Amino acid sequence: MATYVIRRLIQALPILLGIAVISFIIVHVAPGSPIDKYRTPRVSPEQLQNLIRMYGLDKSLPEQFFSWIFNFLQPWQTDGAGNHVAWGFSFSTGAPVWDRITERIPATLLLMGTALASTVVIAIPIGVLAAVKQYSLADKVITVFATVGYAVPSYWLGLMLIYTFAINLNLFPLFGMHSLGKTDPLDVGWHMILPVASLTIQQVAGWSRYMRSSMLEVMRQDYIRTARAKGLSSGQVIRKHALRNALIPIVTLLGLTIPTLLSGAIITEAIFSWPGLGNLGYTSVIDRDYPVVLAFVMMGGFMVIVGNLIADILYAVVDPRIKY
Amino acid sequence: MDTTVNPSLAQRLPGEIDEVDLIPVRTYWQMVRRRFLRNRLAVVAFLLLVVLIALALIVPTLTGEMYRKTSLIKPYAGVELAAPLGYDDIGQNIFLRLMKALQTSLFIGFAAVSIIFTVGVSVGAIAGYFGGWVDNILMRVVDVVLSLPSLFLVIMLVAFFGGGNVWVIVFAIGLTGWTTAARLVRATFLSLREADFVQAAQALGASRFRIITRHMLPSALAPILVAVTLGVADSVVTEAALSFLGFGISPPEASLGNMMTNAINYMIRQPLLIVYPGVTLILIVLAASFLGDGLRDALDPRQRAEG
Repeated sequence: MATYVIRRLIQALPILLGIAVISFIIVHVAPGSPIDKYRTPRVSPEQLQNLIRMYGLDKSLPEQFFSWIFNFLQPWQTDGAGNHVAWGFSFSTGAPVWDRITERIPATLLLMGTALASTVVIAIPIGVLAAVKQYSLADKVITVFATVGYAVPSYWLGLMLIYTFAINLNLFPLFGMHSLGKTDPLDVGWHMILPVASLTIQQVAGWSRYMRSSMLEVMRQDYIRTARAKGLSSGQVIRKHALRNALIPIVTLLGLTIPTLLSGAIITEAIFSWPGLGNLGYTSVIDRDYPVVLAFVMMGGFMVIVGNLIADILYAVVDPRIKY
Repeated sequence: MDTTVNPSLAQRLPGEIDEVDLIPVRTYWQMVRRRFLRNRLAVVAFLLLVVLIALALIVPTLTGEMYRKTSLIKPYAGVELAAPLGYDDIGQNIFLRLMKALQTSLFIGFAAVSIIFTVGVSVGAIAGYFGGWVDNILMRVVDVVLSLPSLFLVIMLVAFFGGGNVWVIVFAIGLTGWTTAARLVRATFLSLREADFVQAAQALGASRFRIITRHMLPSALAPILVAVTLGVADSVVTEAALSFLGFGISPPEASLGNMMTNAINYMIRQPLLIVYPGVTLILIVLAASFLGDGLRDALDPRQRAEG
């Protein structure tokens, strides 16, 4: 297993390099330069030259690329004052990129983690129920919900939730993570309900559909009939025999969702002004904050690779037939 | 067109005809059509999509620039014959804007999908046909594109390379979304490479291009068709998200996304403003996904058309 993980990580290196090259090229071919905003009559040409030198924009593209990627791979580097400088500095705030990214991680992890946990807790029982009682009223209601929920765009759903619960019923705050001057967890939880709901509804729609078809597939298998034939109660058949096997494909969904734990949901975070990574990515594109944009894409790509790896490892955990 | 009885029967003696021969012979596409038409949901979805496309083509063509005409006396004006959905905050006809937005969205959806189709099929066909190191390199490229955070990449491309330009949006969506099609085509091609009919074509001296396009591609068509149908919905949703976030198409041009952004400011005064573009978007996605499901079932040759 350990050698498998190491081999997979080594295989991931060229992919990460590809991601780095593509995002670097996009950022550098993009029209407009990060120092454009300093091109005002008040800034002298010498000062501009200094800025260009300071940001390393006078070097050739390959040179810039290698100096960037070389430093990027060693985020633990610090300058004398203990600042993490290896990922460069944000163009818009001047703070180290590392700090800007890491300070956003808790908020995103909290939001996406809660949404993922609620999704698992809701979607799996719903999917199982729909499969076990196939063609029943419950199954039909769940299927309609899943189909419509899948088609509703997350931003529209978010806006509808805001309109209904924040504006009309005035039950929840419009946006943000904290009320003014409050930091207690209860307040955060209150702010979290709408964004979590909008993420969860969307994910439950997809997951429950997946769970239902996976469960139906398993229920058709011979070993389920065998289990029934030997006199097990239907509850035992479902829990011990069907559910465990039906969960195997769900691992793929988990692998696809893990990256969002760290890259966040750009649109949902933007709508609710949630101070997470997705929102940081969104604002850094608007501000053309290239160092932050690059770090964001790299982290996103890295998380996708890690997510796939975790999914593959989990396969072996839930399915003893799979060996690496 | 309709069912015919096995033609070879005419040359046989009556005693030699068995029951099997009396089963009507249908071509593959006749069976597909039969199966598709039996799926009522898919037919409804297809008709809905046809209606949406017709509306998007006809209404904006007939009314020209009227969708962006503002009026000082009509803000929030109610429903009238010329404006079945009333007027918005600056007196623009909501129905006309919605139809123009529908046109923009569907255009971007179909244009992006044609890029997805072209790039995906070419890459998948080349990788699957040649195999070896060609396949290896192309699939690593697919891995890289798949690992990139796609929505963020689209946002980056559109924001950095001229937002508001329809073609930039089309290319951004197309160039990030072709990987699924490429994988589907590659998988089919890998399995067909050693098939007898491909070897026969090779033995007859057909060129590689001819073998790929005339012999192998038709076999890969079914999964591509499904992927393309779903791809239209995905592209429309992505475009709306872009415009919603302010990176895509901006007013006075109309897009389902920017209509929603604008509606946020008038949520209390005119909440329906946000419902119209949302429902339109949901209808497109629902229609495309039911059509895609219907096509998948209809195109699956393992499903025999009974009766």
